[in-house]
Amino acid sequence: MTEGINQAAAAAAATPRVRLEGIRKQFGSIQALRGVDLDLMPGEVLGLVGDNAAGKSTLTKVISGAYVPDEGRILVDGQAAGYTTPAEARAIGIEMVYQDLSLCDTIDVAGNLFLGREPRRSVLGLKLLDRQRMREEARRNLDALDIHVPSLDAYVEQLSGGQRQSIAIARAAAFAPRVLIMDEPTSALAVAEVEAVLRLIRRLAEGGTSIILITHRLQDLFRVCDRIVVMYEGTKVAERRIGETDLEDLVGLIVGGKAEKLKGHA
Amino acid sequence: MSTTPIYERRPTGPRYHDFLARHAQVLSIAAFFLLMVVLFSLNTNAFLSQANLLNLLRQSAPLIIVAVAMTFVITTGGIDLSVGSTVALVNALVAIALQAGVPWPLAVLAMLVLGGLVGLLQGWFVAREGIPAFIVTLAGLSILRGVALLLTQGFSIPIASDNWFVQIGRGWFLGLPFPAILAVLVMAAGALALSSTRFGRYVTAIGANAEAARRAGIGVQGVTMAVYVLTGIAAALAGIVIAARLGSGSSNAAVGFELDVIAAVVLGGTSLMGGRGSILGTCLGALTIAVIGNGLILAHISPFFTQIVTGLIILAAIWLNTKVFRGGRRR
Ligand SMILES: Nc1ncnc2c1ncn2[C@@H]1O[C@H](COP(=O)(O)OP(=O)(O)O)[C@@H](O)[C@H]1O
Ligand SMILES: [Mg+2]
Repeated sequence: MTEGINQAAAAAAATPRVRLEGIRKQFGSIQALRGVDLDLMPGEVLGLVGDNAAGKSTLTKVISGAYVPDEGRILVDGQAAGYTTPAEARAIGIEMVYQDLSLCDTIDVAGNLFLGREPRRSVLGLKLLDRQRMREEARRNLDALDIHVPSLDAYVEQLSGGQRQSIAIARAAAFAPRVLIMDEPTSALAVAEVEAVLRLIRRLAEGGTSIILITHRLQDLFRVCDRIVVMYEGTKVAERRIGETDLEDLVGLIVGGKAEKLKGHA
Repeated sequence: MSTTPIYERRPTGPRYHDFLARHAQVLSIAAFFLLMVVLFSLNTNAFLSQANLLNLLRQSAPLIIVAVAMTFVITTGGIDLSVGSTVALVNALVAIALQAGVPWPLAVLAMLVLGGLVGLLQGWFVAREGIPAFIVTLAGLSILRGVALLLTQGFSIPIASDNWFVQIGRGWFLGLPFPAILAVLVMAAGALALSSTRFGRYVTAIGANAEAARRAGIGVQGVTMAVYVLTGIAAALAGIVIAARLGSGSSNAAVGFELDVIAAVVLGGTSLMGGRGSILGTCLGALTIAVIGNGLILAHISPFFTQIVTGLIILAAIWLNTKVFRGGRRR
């Protein structure tokens, strides 16, 4: 009896939360992804690095449902996931902080945090937005992330780049995601805010959330990641456990292809 | 001598600054509306009379009704140029139906459904097929007016004045003209829907950043189609009210109506770029346009001036809004 449960648990632990098989995506003549395989384990923090235009954003948008791959399969918890929209991906707990933040400038902070899942209350049989609850929960979420905004009623367009980025992060992290993808989430953040994001990543991972972190701040990867994947020109070129690599190795892997190409031309 | 830096949170200014900045456009159109009212009250005796004010309300009802719906369309970043032609088509068709002996409740219902279907079809081209709203509804403007002309051969079709139908345009309720009651109801429903429901929130979100809305799981296509259904139904309602008030249906009704509607919406501070809409502003904009038309006539100024003055006022108001009130905005 207990053995069965243990086996089930072991199998569950070995089943990737997300598995990508042979993902391809083409934009006109550009092959953004040329057959990418990737496993993301439960509670794992995966760093995704690569040169600009390597295909990092495209790959993660495929996982979040923003793009539908031309070829390849996505498995979630071992099951073929048939989602084709961000709404469906979100429904099974996949959240993403997009590189362009995807905020609505003319909606207030609390409204952006709850965009697409606004709490409602019934007034005379009409379902109206529950502003009070949105505000209270928004306050709690932002406090937990050490994010200070002048006012929750402020339109997002009134905020600084770092504040906007923080709000995009808080929105993705707030609803207990099972998979959280962050595409360069710290590029506009100040030191203390970056620290808060790294703490958040560790805390969520300990709670079982699987995380993909794309960043150019390689030193951050060593502080939070379990594993690092390197992409180059639409393919996965290397995969390293964090203990097996260091900064120099990573830099070599990221520019490696380029260095070889340069050598080849010389 | 250097001073020690003091780490303290910067003080925030008074909250009413934010309030003024955010509502600048509604406040400015409100001020402008009051100015017009005062001007015409001083210059004409008839303007402030109860009969004239009630008449003004009755006449501006179709404009308000359609402008409320148009606010939703423009807030998504779209436009509906076909509303005037939809008004004409419904105006003519309802008269034809009543003349053929169709009971008025059935005729009214059928017209509202027709308006909704017209909107659905246009919304489908905009939302699902990705054709610019300007193009789709420009085609609609031409086609719908053409159908109305074809059906009536250009003749006006009378509606029997003993048919209860005409009360929709001429009747009274609680001391107010019935069309005005309709307009107030539409306005209240519109204001509530835009500011306090998910639907209204999604309309704003789509206008602000449609891709962000999609990524947040919002059914962008469905909401976009819905706003055109709203303008279609509102235009049908306006066509019914106008037919009932005039006691006839004509394919030449509401020529240029779409421009008055769009002017009312834009005067009220709704951004043509999408993402910002105010129903209150729209209603003030519609009333301002109505007051100008009415006041110029009472002041015995040639009605031909009305169009010139309306145009100038729109230009001035929008110019002020962009130059003066938008200082701190990104767009
Ligand atoms: N929506 C798109 N349309 C056309 N090309 C795109 C689109 N998205 C990405 N690409 C192209 O795909 C390649 C990979 O881009 P991206 O995934 O954004 O790279 P990264 O995030 O690693 O910098 C680039 O050459 C980019 O120009
Ligand atoms: Mg990118």
